[in-house]
Amino acid sequence: MARADSLAKLAFAYGVHLTRRRLTRPRSQVTKLLETYAADGIRPLLKEERERHPQLIGCINCGLCALAAARIGSVRLPDLATSYMRLYARLGEAGSDLSGDSPELEAASAACPVGVPLGEVTAIVRRLAAG
Amino acid sequence: MSAPSAHDVCVIGGGVTGAGIARDLSLRGLSVLLVEKGDWGGGTTGSSSWMIHGGPRYLEFDWDTTRLSTQDAGYIVSMARNMVYRVVFIIPVLPHDRNNIERMETAMEVYDRFQPLKHAHPHVRLTAEEARQVEPGLAADVIGAVTMEEWGVDPHRLVFANVQDAIAHGARALNHTRVLDLLRDGGKVIGVRYRGPDGATSEARAKVVVNAAGPWVPEISRMAGATVQLRPAKGVHIVYPHRISNFSISAESIDGRDLLMVSHAGFTLLGTTDDDFYGDLDSVDVLEDEVDYLLQAFERVFPSIRAYRPVRTTAGVRPTLFKWRRYEDELSRRYAVIDHSPDGADGFVTIAGGKLSMYRLMAEETSDVVCRMLGHQAPCVTATRPLPGNESDVEPPPELGRRCGITTLAAMKLQSRHGSNAAAVLQDARSGRMVCRCEPITEAELAHAARHEQVRTLADAFRRVGLAAGPCAGGACVLRAAAVIGSELGWSAAQRFDAAREFLRGAWLGRAPVLGHMGWAQEEMAIGAHRGLTN
Repeated sequence: MARADSLAKLAFAYGVHLTRRRLTRPRSQVTKLLETYAADGIRPLLKEERERHPQLIGCINCGLCALAAARIGSVRLPDLATSYMRLYARLGEAGSDLSGDSPELEAASAACPVGVPLGEVTAIVRRLAAG
Repeated sequence: MSAPSAHDVCVIGGGVTGAGIARDLSLRGLSVLLVEKGDWGGGTTGSSSWMIHGGPRYLEFDWDTTRLSTQDAGYIVSMARNMVYRVVFIIPVLPHDRNNIERMETAMEVYDRFQPLKHAHPHVRLTAEEARQVEPGLAADVIGAVTMEEWGVDPHRLVFANVQDAIAHGARALNHTRVLDLLRDGGKVIGVRYRGPDGATSEARAKVVVNAAGPWVPEISRMAGATVQLRPAKGVHIVYPHRISNFSISAESIDGRDLLMVSHAGFTLLGTTDDDFYGDLDSVDVLEDEVDYLLQAFERVFPSIRAYRPVRTTAGVRPTLFKWRRYEDELSRRYAVIDHSPDGADGFVTIAGGKLSMYRLMAEETSDVVCRMLGHQAPCVTATRPLPGNESDVEPPPELGRRCGITTLAAMKLQSRHGSNAAAVLQDARSGRMVCRCEPITEAELAHAARHEQVRTLADAFRRVGLAAGPCAGGACVLRAAAVIGSELGWSAAQRFDAAREFLRGAWLGRAPVLGHMGWAQEEMAIGAHRGLTN
């Protein structure tokens, strides 16, 4: 009975929806979506970032990059690729941890056994943390 | 055996429902004993999708369940602010999907009527291009999408916050304590016999015994001579140690089921299966077939999914109410509170079925029944009373970080677990020393968990503070964590090694079904690091 009632109500809502679609002109809602959730740190990746993303989050936390270049801002280098990249856009105020000099990221990337490009990681974390 | 303790109520089962009942009854002024055979939230609760949601799919079956769960989700969001966060789904529509874009938007329009109950925003509709602007990883043949908002939650912290509040109001809460039998006096259940973590057997007398054991409900009921039939259903998730996308994504499986890739605070859950389960509830394995079933569905809408490295799987069993001749997916998520007096078991109550989003309501209704049985008159206050850590606003994370010598990110994560009590957790000289860098977790927090949060094993620490939940899966931190917890609990060096070995063995069982190429790189590093342990 509950199911029949639910399906009947959905069928009615479907009729109302189709009628409304015929009578109103659709408008883009994507800006509204992005503005609504920007405060929650929910922001999209760029197309090129998306393509590289599996490589950017490949860190296995072995710590070898820290031997080549210790810190970026107040953050130990392996932590950038693990904990900061875990959250990426939801970094909020934690972006301030990364302010300061960038170390020898190329040397650090060369030491990485799984090939995480730390320069790119730094760029994406900084971009998304800035909002 | 020591003399039995005496209580008004004994609650069996330390999942979110049992913990919620213990909290509710304690706040009503009753003396409560809560017993859990494993760790708090270690069963069905911890294996959930980590969401408090209304369940728009129940709109096809039962609008009442959707209404009740959105309403209760709203209460949970208000009382557990530190541990909830918004989860925004993109629901892409592909050619030949079961529901076309108009049907999908109709469902979301109906769901929007319930969204204000849980402080969520209404849906928006996206064209194919807009959908790929929001999530560039979507498949090229997506023809449009709608969005849907839900709330994510850390269920382990939610359970423990309920336990903490129950203890603060006089309850006694024992984890790693298995009920061996119910004490009976003729047709009345008068208490429980249990074995504690030290192996000692004890008895506790109670005027009412509540069976909130989730999928183990039938087993406990049999001890009282009562029969409760469930239709247990196994649910499997794949866990990725990062947010793969900032927007969660839904996908249709090969058999037409709705699956979800849920972006949580620092990790992604992809699931879930829903299959009748007939096996051993204490040993639920994940099969490679189940992993493939999930990946196949997501590859269709998010083609790069196989390029990501999962770190483990979770498996749990839902305590669904029994119904014959229905597919698992069509089963109601309703619950039932059963007074077993007519079965010849006076003083014995079972709560069965339900879902995480409705746990508070389930606890309230069960507590109402218990209070009626005891002739106790006190109103439920759990809908408005904040959980521990939510009594006041948190201080700005950069300030907490500076004061305690930790990064802002570490301060944010600490507050997500402890809310406004975060600073108190760091009242320790070791506040700035990190144990788990992926999460991140300080030595001080881990020591606090062992001292004040009933952490007895490394797996308990995983649940309480997220130890080893990150990309290294414990490879870099498990030995150090064993040393910190061991020094609090008085473990010998051998016990510390045993604890680390036991944790790694358990973690391996969840990781083996999802190890790909990159996973093996991680695994080899961990094996090398722990070689001394395994010899």
